[in-house]
Amino acid sequence: MNDPMMVEVKDLHFARGSTEVFRGVDLQIPLGKITAIMGPSGTGKTTLLKLIGGQLTPDRGQVLIGGQDVHKLPRRALFKLRRRMGMLFQSGALFSDLDVFENVAFPLRVHTELPNAMIRDIVLMKLQAVGLRGARHLMPSELSGGMARRVALARAVALDPDLVLYDEPFVGQDPISMGVLVQLIKKVNQALGLTAIVVSHDIKETLSIADYVYIIADGKVMSHGTPRTLDVDEDAHTRQFVHGEPDGPVPFHYPAPDFYDDILAPAGQFS
Amino acid sequence: MIDRIAALGRGTLDVLMAIGRAGLFLVQSVFCLPSREGFYLWVRQMHFVGVMSVAIVLVSGLFIGMVLALQGYTILVGFGADEALGQMVALSLVRELAPVVAALLFAGRAGSALTAEIGLMKATEQLTSMEMIGVDPLRRIVAPRLWAGFVSLPILTVIFAVVGIWGGHLVGVDWLGVYNGSYWSNMQDSVDFVGDVLNGMVKSLVFGLVVTWIAVFQGYDLVPTSEGISRATTRTVVYASLAVLGLDFVLTALMFGDFG
Repeated sequence: MNDPMMVEVKDLHFARGSTEVFRGVDLQIPLGKITAIMGPSGTGKTTLLKLIGGQLTPDRGQVLIGGQDVHKLPRRALFKLRRRMGMLFQSGALFSDLDVFENVAFPLRVHTELPNAMIRDIVLMKLQAVGLRGARHLMPSELSGGMARRVALARAVALDPDLVLYDEPFVGQDPISMGVLVQLIKKVNQALGLTAIVVSHDIKETLSIADYVYIIADGKVMSHGTPRTLDVDEDAHTRQFVHGEPDGPVPFHYPAPDFYDDILAPAGQFS
Repeated sequence: MIDRIAALGRGTLDVLMAIGRAGLFLVQSVFCLPSREGFYLWVRQMHFVGVMSVAIVLVSGLFIGMVLALQGYTILVGFGADEALGQMVALSLVRELAPVVAALLFAGRAGSALTAEIGLMKATEQLTSMEMIGVDPLRRIVAPRLWAGFVSLPILTVIFAVVGIWGGHLVGVDWLGVYNGSYWSNMQDSVDFVGDVLNGMVKSLVFGLVVTWIAVFQGYDLVPTSEGISRATTRTVVYASLAVLGLDFVLTALMFGDFG
């Protein structure tokens, strides 16, 4: 991994109340590559994206994007930096009062002085790339989940950003939509040469497009490597996650009192 | 005992932190630099917050004016002072009822809608996605709504007062037979532009700011779940109504409380 670093996460600590989400996470996201951050549900993958995007502030550690410490930037500079980033949300997060065309045109209208004719051309090109040029007049409420995510992808890359963050892009998708999204993410990355961070727990799909993978569990990076090296990794955490084993270092049961005692607890002592 | 003291301390800290957040939120939203696009957004919100509230204000103003005239007449006629009906209706409306009732209606109609709208934007990650696109939601979503509420409530208050006076005229003059000339001339003699009309407008400006501030802050600061939205919407109506009634007393005491 000798590529220049686009995003660097150094010794990241973050807690929600008394729960420690991250206890010293270090990541290096190379330029122009697709890096996947994976891990079981509830390990804070989305939180990590929010920390990288500057929406949350860490208790300790740094997130550097292009050498700039995201959390030391003043509000205005942070918003300026975000113009070079795109983010695909799990829900799509399309603006419900704007139609598909205006949703994709939104970043162009607010950040550029381009004439309307040029904005129209760019939006139609982006919609064509995600296969939804014909759906430009639909409102977000009229789209299926997969379509909404494709529109959101078109909007995320409308300004041709340097970095795109994907938050669980494959969750809740039917096999066709999932296949389309997998191809789109790969295609967008290759065509625009942008750096991508994909947060996901869909192993097969993510490993098929990722250049490098970090697996997070227990608030730390458990292992990292290329998809090929992780597939043969002997580490218990990695093996359990990559091969989808139900029990292992990540227990099947949420911590609870003894089952026998719980079932036979006398009335009046139910908790 | 220690637990109770700790809980009290935690509660106090939470309230103080919420007040601090609300204060920062207001300052950051109000002092956004105006832009041409911001003006269009403000006009859209003036329609949503102001124009859409006109119907409820017209109907309420009309009925309150009519009831005032009916109640006032039954008392005044006992003293043979029914000709002072116009004065009574106008002063009650301009000083008190128009600013207060319009603000309460505004909190119920526009305030709750603003909270639910912004809350739903937060729950569906629209605010977060706006931030990630590099657009400050305080500037694009909150500021136009705050300014629209601040400007539209005084206008709604004027509409309320005018319709109320007309409603009073309908009942007092057209129905109960009070002399038309004395209805208007008594009103003209007794209502002072600065002391009554302007003071009423100052009240409605304060109410406009407070009600809209509470509504947008509750929407922006809520827990993004369906229960959170429901609670925040209720809080908006309750807090805004209490704030309006409490501030009304304070402002009235400051404006009209000098008996020395």
